Amino acid sequence: MSDGILRIRRGPGANCSSIGSAVEMLFLSATAGAALLVALNAALDEAAPSPDAPLPEPDPAESDSETPSPGADDAG
Amino acid sequence: MRAELRLRAAPFGAWVRLGDDTLVAVDRDRARRLGLDDAGAWRDDPPPPEAPLEAHIAVTSRCPAACTGCYQSASPEGRHVDREALEATLRGLRDTGVFTVAFGGGEPMLRDDLGSLATLARALGMTPVVTTSGLGLTPRRAAALRDFAQVNVSHDGSPADYLAVRGFEGARQADEAIAMLVSAGITVGVNMVLTRQNVASVAPFSHRLADLGVRELQLLRYKPAGRAASPEYLARRLTPSQAEALGAALKPLAAALEGRLSLRIDCALVPLVAGALGSAAGLERFGVFGCEAGRYLAAVDREGALKGCSFVTESDSRMSIDAFRAFADAPPEPCAGCEFQRVCRGGCKVVATHLRGAMGPDPECPRVMAWERRA
Repeated sequence: MSDGILRIRRGPGANCSSIGSAVEMLFLSATAGAALLVALNAALDEAAPSPDAPLPEPDPAESDSETPSPGADDAG
Repeated sequence: MRAELRLRAAPFGAWVRLGDDTLVAVDRDRARRLGLDDAGAWRDDPPPPEAPLEAHIAVTSRCPAACTGCYQSASPEGRHVDREALEATLRGLRDTGVFTVAFGGGEPMLRDDLGSLATLARALGMTPVVTTSGLGLTPRRAAALRDFAQVNVSHDGSPADYLAVRGFEGARQADEAIAMLVSAGITVGVNMVLTRQNVASVAPFSHRLADLGVRELQLLRYKPAGRAASPEYLARRLTPSQAEALGAALKPLAAALEGRLSLRIDCALVPLVAGALGSAAGLERFGVFGCEAGRYLAAVDREGALKGCSFVTESDSRMSIDAFRAFADAPPEPCAGCEFQRVCRGGCKVVATHLRGAMGPDPECPRVMAWERRA
């Protein structure tokens, strides 16, 4: 797409039953789509951590859940 | 203020959550530039299944509405899920890398601790959202929901449309809930379940919602689960011509609503309208998700069981997570040869299983129907 960006999804959505997708971006003109990518690239660069500020690790004290991993074997 | 960034390694590179509103897939080079280096997901061959990006959590099975088509078969006699169990679920989902948790029910608003569940999800680094019918909402309770990134109100249109879809008169309460939430400064969306009876009112209803301050309308396909898994389903589902007209209407409607109200379609609508939305590559590029059960979507039911999606309401080996994955890995025809398969992933398996007794291509997909006519 542009500068390493493969896909964009907008909005958190708030449906509790099925996963939703915004449709407006599908109808953007080439100019508007390019502008969106420029803005997204800038936002990613701005949000990226600096080298001396690594991403925080999860708190080990909160990692003792017995909830099965969705990436693990089927529990349902 | 710069948006908060969360990274999660994926075989292609990484998923990046930018604030609450944007999710981006980036390649490995860009992921490295964002601070991710030599992720385990890049070394495994074959890579392990990707964890869900979004999880739906049933927080109660209690609801006074008892809608005729409730996919959860919720009732006034239902019970709330224990707080302790919900906290463990949230921590487990956080540990797997889930970005968004969507609370549902039953009627989540019946829980006194709903706002604090959102606060906990935030503290764990996830984006919380919730769906409600609005029953039980007060201005004070609305104000306590500010940690939710968005609150969606279930609303199916005019009072007559609402009654026709749900068998319950709830349109006025839904309108009042929207007003309370907007007044509280909360981002409000609406979930509209589409049936044969109300699909023609999508356009006028969407303009009305925009006037009320609603920011997003999510259109949902009616699915045969829970109380909706009945013979009535056949009389309620969209007709093929209605589905085609809906697809054609989305682009002009999105243009008419630009800047006022955002439109979303649910995963089950993707096969029905994909042909009107553009190329499969375009849909993929702009993050349209079809059936993501077993991959980017998970659901935790009221017993704490993990499922592919919320509509798998009973223990049903036909719709296990492994079965969803097996279908996506090796879809049968006509999905195998369909350009949209990589996005729609075979359509809604809940519909297929209800109508055909087994997981298979979505029988209501126009391409599947055309293929079956030819066969």
